[in-house]
Amino acid sequence: MSYLLIVDDDEDFATAVATVLRAKGHEVRMELEPSAAVRSMTERRPDLLLLDVMFPEDSTGGFELARTMRWRHENLKTVPILMLTAVNTRFPLGFSEKDIDDDWMPVTEFLEKPVDLDVLAERVETILAGRQGRRG
Amino acid sequence: MSASTDPTPRFVYELPLAEPAPSSSASADPDAAAPWREALLIGNVLWFVRLRWAAIASLASFGLVGIAFPDLLHSLGLRPQVDWPFLAAALLLLANLGFLGHARLIVRNPLRRGAIWNLWTQIVADLLVLTMVVHFLGSLETPTAFLYLAHVVLACIFFSRRQSLIVAAIAGGLYATCVGMERLHIIQTPGIYLDPLLRRTLTDQPAFPWVTLLSALGIYFVVWFLASHLSELVRGQELELAEANRRLTVAQREKTRHMLRTTHELKAPFAAIAANAQLLLKGHCGILSEQATQVVARIAARCRRLAVEIQEMLQLANLQSAEEHPTPTRLDVTEMVRWAVARVGAVAQERRVIVEEALSPATIVAVEDHIKMLLTNIIANAVVYSTEGGIVRVRCEGTPADGPVVTVEDEGIGIPAEKLPRIFDDYYRTEEAVRHNKDSTGLGLAIVRHVATSHRIRVRVESAPGRGTAVTLRFPTG
Repeated sequence: MSYLLIVDDDEDFATAVATVLRAKGHEVRMELEPSAAVRSMTERRPDLLLLDVMFPEDSTGGFELARTMRWRHENLKTVPILMLTAVNTRFPLGFSEKDIDDDWMPVTEFLEKPVDLDVLAERVETILAGRQGRRG
Repeated sequence: MSASTDPTPRFVYELPLAEPAPSSSASADPDAAAPWREALLIGNVLWFVRLRWAAIASLASFGLVGIAFPDLLHSLGLRPQVDWPFLAAALLLLANLGFLGHARLIVRNPLRRGAIWNLWTQIVADLLVLTMVVHFLGSLETPTAFLYLAHVVLACIFFSRRQSLIVAAIAGGLYATCVGMERLHIIQTPGIYLDPLLRRTLTDQPAFPWVTLLSALGIYFVVWFLASHLSELVRGQELELAEANRRLTVAQREKTRHMLRTTHELKAPFAAIAANAQLLLKGHCGILSEQATQVVARIAARCRRLAVEIQEMLQLANLQSAEEHPTPTRLDVTEMVRWAVARVGAVAQERRVIVEEALSPATIVAVEDHIKMLLTNIIANAVVYSTEGGIVRVRCEGTPADGPVVTVEDEGIGIPAEKLPRIFDDYYRTEEAVRHNKDSTGLGLAIVRHVATSHRIRVRVESAPGRGTAVTLRFPTG
């Protein structure tokens, strides 16, 4: 069992994702704002972060949170991030280049919304398995 | 509806290649055009620098002729000029290197009014060196006074009317000073003509210097008046175009940003609906009755279709985005066609439509994603608007002279002649198409139009109701 954190301003979506992942036996916590997510992760480090991109107060809040984790929080540096975005990353409309540059953007993987929940669950297991493999 | 033997002729429509000009609603900000003006001026700075290299070469050549062919010049009644042409060329050379260095600096780091100061310095430096040339060649007995006109005209091109008048006044002032100093014997020159009597005879006439000077000043003013007036007209149009271009860019960027935001706003709640429908279908909320399962399955199916529509909206926005300039590569057309046919394979199977391929090797230079989008949309349309059991024939002919030609022909519902010119419009769907396929978004052919326009692909649609449609794509050579 792993501890997963979902950060998404859409509570309905986050709840549905959490339901599926809980059914897979994981402990899941949801946060609706990036600032609350940082507090939550400082209290308890998640094994995987499922992160949205656009938030009401910041249209690139997800990217910002990912960068903050990678460069400002030693403890959160290696937390894998699965980015769930309603914006197709192949069509980077309106984002600056640094936001979508693969080298610069330190997320583990992208999944585009609307997402097939089976695919999502499978991707989560793959990332967690890879992480455990690296630990072992 | 099945393929008919009705002899109704097929109607033809060719998609115009030129994209209609988009309209802009962005408000005009007068200060916002300043960077465009600065860019135009920087272009002028560089051009003026290039022009000066030719003047430097001419002066140096003139000096070399004086050294190499003195006898020839003597035989023509001219005095060989040696020292001052090289001095003038050297002075201009040094100045030009400075102007060029400054120009490169302002190209990299635009400074406020950097280009205008550069141009002013260039003009003043030129006028000073030109006065030296006029003096040594002979300010009164030669027509060198008219050399100043070139700078008066150039100033009319570069500067405002007031500023170009100042340049005309400086030119006139320098020429008058040169003539005056010669008359007062402050500076002396034998001139270019060998015969000293020629100069003396002319300059000793009391009215001659004044007539020449006033004539030159009058001509400067007339030329300034005409050139500055014409230049003002041309510059006005140039700035209008630059401003229109800027407004279009701003509007396009704004539209793209709006599209992103709208798409997100649509997609986010829709993702929640789709996820919750999946929860119900997968039994995470208990077992549903058969009727409820059907309802949820319909919701999930509509979600999938809506996902396609949103994807197409994004593709269209991406194609319309002026910021995106993907790099074209050499592509194998048959490979692209096969990829697109595979993409619509599931739909064809579902509708029992057979897709036949007859592909000859051909290559094009294009953006891969865009060509895939174009072919997928055209082949998908042929499949979707075919009748059950129908055949879609996809042909590719490689013609090196005219470029590859891809034809997609179906035996489907066809399109009425009067509706053909509108089928490439955003969100346009014929009633017949909607009756046949409720899931149509009306964006597929709009995507085709954008890709065809940007790649100069000629699209010809031949169709008749009940007799199917043939779409011919003529790719440009290369």
